[in-house]
Amino acid sequence: MADRPFQGTKESFWVSNRGTILVVEDERAIMEMLRVGFTYEGYEVIAVQGGREALDRLQEGGVDVVVLDIMLPDVDGFEVCRRIRSRGWDVPILMLTAKKEIEDRVRGLDLGADDYLTKPFSFDELLARVRALLRRSGKKSEAVVLSAGDLMLNVETREVTKGGKPVRLTPTEFALLELFMRHPRRVFTRETLLNRLWGYEYVGDTNVVDVHVSHLRSKIGDRPPRLIRTIYGVGYAFYPET
Amino acid sequence: MRDSFWHSLSLKTRLALLYGGLLAVVLCLLGGVLYLNTRSFLLDATAKRIRAQAKPVIEHWLYPAEFMPPLWGQSPPKTRNSIDLERIASFLARDLTSRDTVALVLDRQGRVLAVGRRLPEEPEAPSPQPFYYRRALAGENEVNYTTWLNRRHLLVLFIPLRWAPGSEEILGVVQLSTLLTPVDKILFRQRLVLIVGIGLALLVGAALGLFLTTSVLGDLTRMVSTCRAIALGNLGQRVNLPHRRDEVGELAQAFDHMVERIEASFAAQKRFVANAAHELRTPVTVLLGSLEVLMRGAQDDPTLSAGLMQNMYREAKGLSRLCEELLDLSRLDLSSHVKKELADLETFFSSYMEKAALLAQGRALSLEKGPSLAAELDLGMLEQMLNNLLDNAVRHTREGDSISLGWNQGDGWLEIWIADGGEGIHSQDLPHIFEPFYQGMRGKEAGGTGLGLTLVKAMVEAHGGRVQVESEPGHGTRFTLFFPLDGPQED
Ligand SMILES: Nc1ncnc2c1ncn2[C@@H]1O[C@H](COP(=O)(O)OP(=O)(O)O)[C@@H](O)[C@H]1O
Ligand SMILES: [Mg+2]
Repeated sequence: MADRPFQGTKESFWVSNRGTILVVEDERAIMEMLRVGFTYEGYEVIAVQGGREALDRLQEGGVDVVVLDIMLPDVDGFEVCRRIRSRGWDVPILMLTAKKEIEDRVRGLDLGADDYLTKPFSFDELLARVRALLRRSGKKSEAVVLSAGDLMLNVETREVTKGGKPVRLTPTEFALLELFMRHPRRVFTRETLLNRLWGYEYVGDTNVVDVHVSHLRSKIGDRPPRLIRTIYGVGYAFYPET
Repeated sequence: MRDSFWHSLSLKTRLALLYGGLLAVVLCLLGGVLYLNTRSFLLDATAKRIRAQAKPVIEHWLYPAEFMPPLWGQSPPKTRNSIDLERIASFLARDLTSRDTVALVLDRQGRVLAVGRRLPEEPEAPSPQPFYYRRALAGENEVNYTTWLNRRHLLVLFIPLRWAPGSEEILGVVQLSTLLTPVDKILFRQRLVLIVGIGLALLVGAALGLFLTTSVLGDLTRMVSTCRAIALGNLGQRVNLPHRRDEVGELAQAFDHMVERIEASFAAQKRFVANAAHELRTPVTVLLGSLEVLMRGAQDDPTLSAGLMQNMYREAKGLSRLCEELLDLSRLDLSSHVKKELADLETFFSSYMEKAALLAQGRALSLEKGPSLAAELDLGMLEQMLNNLLDNAVRHTREGDSISLGWNQGDGWLEIWIADGGEGIHSQDLPHIFEPFYQGMRGKEAGGTGLGLTLVKAMVEAHGGRVQVESEPGHGTRFTLFFPLDGPQED
């Protein structure tokens, strides 16, 4: 899958656009969190605070998924959902609800929402749900086979080949390579790599990252000028074209 | 042991048993007294009749007509002795005997001189009992007793035979025994009536008692089942006995009222907790989500992380404020937390205005002094109330708008007020602004928890006072706190 051209948002110049998310949320702090989070993951975010604005924006098209809060100042989430469906738009909708609206969940799904999450929710969970929605709708599916030169990685079969020859990687090394290949040219600090591969609650020395990177490098025969480059004083980044 | 058995019985059974037992004892006592009375009356009457019948016969044989008038009042002639008695004894006995009465004539030694019984249908005479016989011989006129002979009930009477009427000297004794069959018949009938009557009365009494206790205690049983249902968590249950005006009805009414109050305060508590949890949603979502976003990698980019960190800081601060206010509110349930001290208002306000200036954020703050006055107030609380009101005023005005505060003396009340020239409160919001977590349409955007005014209200009420609000949308708002000025008015 080819990278999209430069999208205009200042954060997205170094990532490929994985889809456009319309976020409808009136709490500014939550909106900011969602905007930064999705943008960092390579999505384009359109942020609106009210239901009417959301419908107007949807009219223009180009939205791949809608993240919709129920409590909105003007038209509430249910109504927005109903109107979207009554206009015949089939964009996937994920609703954010408060728990006291449990029975509303059912209603939310009846009204045409595809999924829901209750506040407080985890961003990782939300991201996973959004990805699933995008995959299901088939509009923006993530690449199954990633390649850089003669290095190929198949996400589904978990196979890696270098110049046609299979390379055997540990699960951590595989996850590390996948992360690098999905985000070419992005600089990852050792802390971030620790968080992404060992979990947010893992406490340990960042040297463990260096060890895994060096193992990975030797297994894929990475010689200078390297695919996986060390950015001194910062961390690592993946450069596919050499 | 028996005591605990007694207490293990239900109240209904105990009452019925007590009631029945008491009734039985009273009826039996009454019946017994009545029966014994009748019996002694009948025996008495019989004895009197027999004696009355015997008197002329005895006089006829003992005092022959020729002796009577001349000898009256003189000393008795010496010629009369026990030999005489022996001579007349058989006549006397014969004449004193009838179909149901038999006479024996006894001399002073207790020997039987004559027996009146001739015919077989006449009852046999019992032998005299020495105890009674001696009493008669000693001069006692009315010695009676009852005895059994050959399964026949007899009344036995002794009549002393005297030398002359009124004489001390006694010749012998006549024993009259009479059948008590008619008396026994009457007594038997009375016994029957009494036993059947008492039995019937007990039955009716028991039935009535059972009905009464059931009607009184049945409702208590109903209350018990209601209590159980409530204990299981069904607070909507009521005993509901509007038709009963007695003590049980009153109890039921008081009980229902109590449950009503408990249910209401339970619901309020639940609502409060739900609201509090709801307030936590946004800050927790922001904190959790932002941390995840940062750790996923946004931390590596300062342009991304700065905004998130600021948000997190703001939300965490809001949480800490919420904590504080919740804690304050929970403490205020007890007005014992109010620590009053006598304070001069002018002194208080002149020092408070300095602190207020720090909160005013460019609003034109002014103090309008009232009459010089001292009042009993918790100054810490007063300061917190004013801070909350001032904070609201600042957040709902624009820079340069005026905010003024001051005090006044009303009719028995100290009034402390704060007025702003800000946006005012929408009339839809006005009735609700003192409710916990309630925020007006503009309140949410302006930050805050919705507890500020709830706290103000609770604090002023803990002082025995009240709070009043006047507002005109677009023109401004005025809050007035009323504190009672004299001791007796507060309670
Ligand atoms: N001075 C004021 N001017 C306008 N609106 C006010 C003022 N004070 C209070 N309010 C309204 O009352 C609501 C409740 O106030 P408060 O209990 O202090 O909660 P908070 O200030 O945390 O929102 C506010 O949300 C606001 O809508
Ligand atoms: Mg407030």
